[in-house]
Amino acid sequence: MSTAALAQSVLNGLALSGIYILIALGLTLVMSIMGIVQVAHGEIYMIGAYSVYYVVAVLGGNFFLGIVVSTLFVGGIGVILERLCFRPFRGRPDRAFTISIALILILQNVVLALAGGNPRSFSSPITGVVHVLGIAISWKRLIIVIVGCGLLVALFLFIKLTRTGQAMLAISQEREGAALQGMNIDRISATAMFLGCGLAAVAGGFIGSLFSISPTMGSFALMKGIAVIILGGLGSIPGAVVGGLILGLVDGVLPALTTTHIAGLVGFAAIIVILIFRPQGIGGHAG
Amino acid sequence: MKRSLVGATIVCLIFLPVFLSGPYYTHVFILTMVNIVLAASLRLINLSGQMSLAHGGMMTIGAYTSALLVMKAGLSFWAAMPISGLATALVAYIIGYPFVRLKGIYFSIVTIFFSEVVVLTAQQWQSLTQGAAGIFGIPRPDPVSLFGILHADFSSKVDFYYLALVLMLLCLLILYAVEKSRIGMILRGVQQADSLAESVGIDTTGFKVLAFSVGSFFPGVLGAFYSHYISAINPDAFAFLFTIYILIYMTVGGDGRFLGPILGAAVLTILPEVSRPLKAFEPFVFAAVLIAVIFFVPEGMVGLPKMLKRAKPSSKEGAAHA
Repeated sequence: MSTAALAQSVLNGLALSGIYILIALGLTLVMSIMGIVQVAHGEIYMIGAYSVYYVVAVLGGNFFLGIVVSTLFVGGIGVILERLCFRPFRGRPDRAFTISIALILILQNVVLALAGGNPRSFSSPITGVVHVLGIAISWKRLIIVIVGCGLLVALFLFIKLTRTGQAMLAISQEREGAALQGMNIDRISATAMFLGCGLAAVAGGFIGSLFSISPTMGSFALMKGIAVIILGGLGSIPGAVVGGLILGLVDGVLPALTTTHIAGLVGFAAIIVILIFRPQGIGGHAG
Repeated sequence: MKRSLVGATIVCLIFLPVFLSGPYYTHVFILTMVNIVLAASLRLINLSGQMSLAHGGMMTIGAYTSALLVMKAGLSFWAAMPISGLATALVAYIIGYPFVRLKGIYFSIVTIFFSEVVVLTAQQWQSLTQGAAGIFGIPRPDPVSLFGILHADFSSKVDFYYLALVLMLLCLLILYAVEKSRIGMILRGVQQADSLAESVGIDTTGFKVLAFSVGSFFPGVLGAFYSHYISAINPDAFAFLFTIYILIYMTVGGDGRFLGPILGAAVLTILPEVSRPLKAFEPFVFAAVLIAVIFFVPEGMVGLPKMLKRAKPSSKEGAAHA
């Protein structure tokens, strides 16, 4: 493999990393605030992709407008789901988990009924390539890295600087203590769900600008998202970033060296091994 | 009363094929019996407080093991089927020790990943499994004749029906015996108070692994049965949705009692076949039913009579107050 080809696959990997990080951040946010593994997160991401498709391909709107609309719409769905499906089962993570499994089937079939099962695609408005040191980088992929970094910084600042963000941090560390201090767990949970689902929608929209979308695209995202948060440590935001970076690069580079399926197998096997020997992940705390 | 009801049901099931019009309905009942065993064995793992989502993966392992033993090693189906079950139980035993160290949902998640690994392995190991296309032309079981009177050559679905019936009864008997034994009692103890059980000297890890391993034996056997019945197997025949359905059968029927998963699997397998519109939206309807059950009938279908009994006096009370 030539250096240029390797550099190319590293860049593809970075774009994947951006997508994985956005998915994993949402998952980990919901997990640490609400204490549940929201396995329908992949379907949320799928709905995000379809919302962008609807705005861009059906209504003829701008791609970035589509991303914004999709983020708000899907974030709203997240708030509704939190209120209707997850709030009644706070403190019963097993029940909430089963509910979110049911949501996978429900959301998938609703989209299937509305949009049909055929894969859809929309043309990305971002075209052209930049040449850096003789390597061609497509703007389509570069923009994912840029937006991903931007959202990451925004999320970091939100948690660091706002009262809501600090409350989130407190609740994730000590739920009862936070409630005793008068923090409104209902409101913070809804906020976490809004942010988490919104981030997934952005990821879905960007994936739609690279590949075709279908109602079953969510399982891939869920598997990668869970792999990232396991790798990085459950509930850890820096962990999700590092984990997403590693997994994106592995998925970008490994298929170029072996076959796609073997690369997938290596990824899954690695996750199982990490879970067994270091359950707290790279960035998580022991215990 | 209870015992005679079970006896009557078995007699009905023995004579049922006489009344079934056509092979399609025979097929539906075979599927029902397979699903019943799967849901009931999932409950055994559940008894130890761990929810496995590896049943589909285990069934795939059993199906491939049996198909390959018969087609490549020339073994008889009657030897290959139990061996497949044991092989699956062994796999579960080996992965069980590291897996059960993960508590609650994380155990479930790692079992999902395990199922993915099984599917990907079956797709990739071309030389052994023929890759994504799967294995075709898996031979029927060898003919058997019992006491010289009952003869089965498995050329018709009715023969498979009776094999499925015998398998189901045997499996349920074993599962029932395990649950009522000391092991079952200990598993319940582990489910309710993990650390308390450990503090009185129970090897909780060992019992969790035992439940996972024994509970995975049954999908192995059923996988073997199913691959010879359908005469084909491919890597994602028992994918994620399949496992979720088993979970739905168990939860909707009620995972608190032995009868629950049996009832849930029977009703949810037969009902969509009777009602066409239900079949068209099956995943949606099943998921909606699952959510409704979790919200309103947490004990499942088997808990309904008790709930209704409880609801009645209180409504009378309400009327009296009014």
